[in-house]
Amino acid sequence: MIRKSVLCTALALVMGLTTSCASNSANQDQHVDEDRFETYNRAMFKFNYRFDKYVLRPVAEGYRAVTNEFTRERISSAIDNIKEPISVGNHLLQGNIKQTGIGIARFGINSTLGLLGMFDVAEGWGLKREPTEFDVTLANWCVPDGPFIMLPFAGPSTPRAAVGDVTDYFMNPLYWATYNDANIHDKVTYSYTGVNAIVLREQNIELLDELERGSVDFYATMRSAYLQNRKSMGCHAQEDKSYDFDFGMDEEDQAFDEMED
Amino acid sequence: MKKNLFGTVVALMMWVAGSAQAEVDAKAAQKFVEEVTTQGIEQIINANVSQTEKDKRFEKLFNSALDLDFIGKFVLGRNWRSTTPAQRQAFIKVYRELNIKTWSKRFDEFKGKSFTFVGTTPSSSKGQVYVDSTVDMGEAKPVSVKWRVRQEGNEYKIVDIVIENVSLAITARNEYSGFIKNNPGGVDALIKDLQNKVNQA
Repeated sequence: MIRKSVLCTALALVMGLTTSCASNSANQDQHVDEDRFETYNRAMFKFNYRFDKYVLRPVAEGYRAVTNEFTRERISSAIDNIKEPISVGNHLLQGNIKQTGIGIARFGINSTLGLLGMFDVAEGWGLKREPTEFDVTLANWCVPDGPFIMLPFAGPSTPRAAVGDVTDYFMNPLYWATYNDANIHDKVTYSYTGVNAIVLREQNIELLDELERGSVDFYATMRSAYLQNRKSMGCHAQEDKSYDFDFGMDEEDQAFDEMED
Repeated sequence: MKKNLFGTVVALMMWVAGSAQAEVDAKAAQKFVEEVTTQGIEQIINANVSQTEKDKRFEKLFNSALDLDFIGKFVLGRNWRSTTPAQRQAFIKVYRELNIKTWSKRFDEFKGKSFTFVGTTPSSSKGQVYVDSTVDMGEAKPVSVKWRVRQEGNEYKIVDIVIENVSLAITARNEYSGFIKNNPGGVDALIKDLQNKVNQA
């Protein structure tokens, strides 16, 4: 497992943290260490929240105002197509040969017949989209998640998720297609990142509004949902039933003490 | 003699099966959840009645299907122990109201969707079981929805809903303990804030 230890070192270097790669299971159901940077995280959350309120959300609303659903679907579909090679690479790294092949076929078909991915022609031929990313690959290799981190602009993350995102960025075909021309390269990758953020935000306007409306501590709600969802990923997914907390009221004291953040 | 033995074995097997069922009747729990979702879809989402009537029906279904007293106690976490009976009552009341309001609004999102029930899985808690279902999302991957059901006698109640591994009870619990930790007003401030949320909703 040379690769794994290298990754762990990289994780530690990038994030300036000591991630305990040796003990995967010890990392399982401990909620204690999951938000050791809460003060920083809450401050960054506040910053992101303001950025969203005054910049990203208004832009996403503008995007919704000037497009109709058909157009938005074409754009979102084209972005999915650009991401297809990322899934292909990661399916391969995860040892999923069948899905690797399907991804290659999908990218070929949709990039041409599907007019640069605006239409998912391959889906109609039974080649179903199965997106995956490097974060999932790392999870499958049993790389632990690490503590919760609120990243500027990008939002909720963990060291593993962050390393996954950065790696996916380098696996993006747009990154390689424009690699030789520095000028175009920057323009294309920045535009792509921007468009991607706007499209994603537009798709989640109602969901995030609802979540916030019902929450007295939006940061805590988001962190909780984010971390719980991540527990379903990777090599411990099957045995992990973190949602199956002890509801038995007899042992409530013990159960409560274990569960508190 | 042989027949007698056979009879004894059958009786014994039935007794074993019966006592296993006394713990929690997974099949009946699944049937209960199926009925609740069918009722929600047919009599609320697809019903041709006013929104007021829909809200009324939703509140009734919500109160009969979910055990909010039970959930509320868990959700308040370790703070439950240090609260007075009056605070507990106030918390459960406002928690119920907030859930009814937010969910009756979101309920319409299920329009045109249906639950596929795929079986049950055991829970670590006594007298409880998970009823597993999926919601078809069209092109996207189906969403997993697990219903945590508690059996008391012949009565069944939903005590948690786990969507894509995210437990609503744990999320609420983390949210409220996060709020209380950062708020000198404690549980009273939480109840007040929740009441504000209800009034705004």
